[in-house]
Amino acid sequence: MSEVKAMSAAADADANVDAARVDARENGARAHAPGVMRRLISNPLGAIGLTVLALMTLVAIFAPALAPYPSGYGNLDEMSLPPSRLHPFGTDDMGLDILAQVIWGTRVSMLVGVAATMLSLAIGVPVGLFAGFYRGRVDAFATSVIDIFLSLPVLPLMILLGAVLGPSLTNIILVIGFFSWPSTARVVRAQALSVAEQQFTEAARAMGATDARILLKHLLPNVFPPIMVNMVLTVATAVISEAGLSFLGLGDPTQWSWGRILENAHRSGAFVTAWWHTLFPSLAIMLLVMSANFLGMAINEILNPRLKRR
Amino acid sequence: MSRYMLKRVLRGLLTAAVSVTLTFIIVRVMPGDPATMLMDPRMTEEIRQQILHDFGLDKPLWVQYLTYVGQLLKGNLGVSFRSLTPVAAVIWSRLPWTLLLMGTSFILTILIGVPLGVVAAVKRGGACDRVINAFAIAGHSIFVPWLGITLLYLLGYTLPWFPIGGACDIGVTGWEAVSSVARHLVLPVTTLTIINLASYVLFLRTGMVETLREDFVRTARAKGVPENRVIFRHALRNAFLPTVTMIGLQLGSMVGGAVLTESVFAYPGVGRLIYESVTQHDYPVLQGTFIILAFTVILANILTDLAYAYLDPKVRFEA
Repeated sequence: MSEVKAMSAAADADANVDAARVDARENGARAHAPGVMRRLISNPLGAIGLTVLALMTLVAIFAPALAPYPSGYGNLDEMSLPPSRLHPFGTDDMGLDILAQVIWGTRVSMLVGVAATMLSLAIGVPVGLFAGFYRGRVDAFATSVIDIFLSLPVLPLMILLGAVLGPSLTNIILVIGFFSWPSTARVVRAQALSVAEQQFTEAARAMGATDARILLKHLLPNVFPPIMVNMVLTVATAVISEAGLSFLGLGDPTQWSWGRILENAHRSGAFVTAWWHTLFPSLAIMLLVMSANFLGMAINEILNPRLKRR
Repeated sequence: MSRYMLKRVLRGLLTAAVSVTLTFIIVRVMPGDPATMLMDPRMTEEIRQQILHDFGLDKPLWVQYLTYVGQLLKGNLGVSFRSLTPVAAVIWSRLPWTLLLMGTSFILTILIGVPLGVVAAVKRGGACDRVINAFAIAGHSIFVPWLGITLLYLLGYTLPWFPIGGACDIGVTGWEAVSSVARHLVLPVTTLTIINLASYVLFLRTGMVETLREDFVRTARAKGVPENRVIFRHALRNAFLPTVTMIGLQLGSMVGGAVLTESVFAYPGVGRLIYESVTQHDYPVLQGTFIILAFTVILANILTDLAYAYLDPKVRFEA
């Protein structure tokens, strides 16, 4: 039993706040997407998470209307000013408004987070489905690959690939997406394993359905609910990865992301004296990641009502 | 036990092979000329020829791959663009600092994390549990460099209690050197430990909560075993097993935290080396650091598996 427990704990090692996910799988979480939305709003964590994420999405979309694009040299009389009414988040060492940088950064950071997650889904969902459906050698192979990728130090690997590809928005999305799929694949595999054993799958097969049909019509829709939790957490992880890579100088130097603001503060040395230069972009990262975690926890609670009583 | 360990060692070797192959693919197969990736225009003709020969850059890919693996086995990781010295030597000189930083943080994480996890699980739903949970979620969401920068700003700059960078003062010897190293270590270790604690505490808590509901715990209580003994001798020992596995699996991401922490504090370990190499486009060093870090993690993983085997009698006594 402890071996089994160790495995399931191990199985969820990479993710964020997700000891709960172990149960998501054990219970064979099943829920219908339409009802989830309504229940999300009535769940306090879900409501907070959704609201903050929705607001941030709006900021990302309407960035051009909210602030002028920070570029060139700012006002030389306004270098490294602490927050004031004119510049609520202060200015950087070039005299540029930090609020504007954070607003435009929302756009890039969220874009990277969502796009990298899509890429990780595009790889992780098929891998997990095949492993869970075909079992045997396919599964053993896929599981080994997943475990190996999860145990490697991913950040240095992302750095190497990012450095070779060169700094650009597309490349950073590719780099993060390409190394984020294993956790998705594992969640999908576990769910596919249990769905493939259900009677309706057997019935479909008895009626002569092809593998492709069973995979697409029966397995895919049923693995979706647990993927939702994973998706939200992957976006959060991707945003943090983007910030980390940009902080290390691998971000797109022509785009404002939260990580780039921090990188500027670090490289110019402004971070030692101008606390506002690093505080606000970091708060933005924290707010996004926390809301995503809240949302993930809320979806988990809804999918597994038993969790609430713990 | 021996079969269990054999399996783990084989898995480790496989992981090592995958990481070596990945670096080969990334540097040689990705668009771009591998010769420019591995050779700096500033290099002397002699060094260029040496690298061409060492890594067979003019030969077909599979020959290159075999040569690459062969050179790795000999400990040849190429030549750094920046210092024009062997990459392996550069990394070896940095590795002790990273191991010191990560090792200290690891021990602290266990020393602080275990009691916190136990308290949270035993008093679950209580005020302590809520505070610990909130802390863990905040720790997950915080951006590592910012935590470092904030500590630096507060305790290195505003209150100049600790040095703001480096690992040791220059020209100190004996006990003074030890104390200097310790003082330089405080802020980076604090940063890394806070981040690590966030994940370990939650996992230990979940493990404890589940174990405390097991039948043998109820039996122990029914027998009249004192509560302290139930928690520490009966429950914690069992809850610890999954946590050990967890620790092994988290090592990879712990390395990521160390890279960012070292970059902030200009701590002269492998992580800072990565930071410097990115700005210098020093690909051989980036490739070498990944390989060495991956190997370190693999080795540490085998060690945690050993610890697991020792802790779990089912594995220990297996024929």
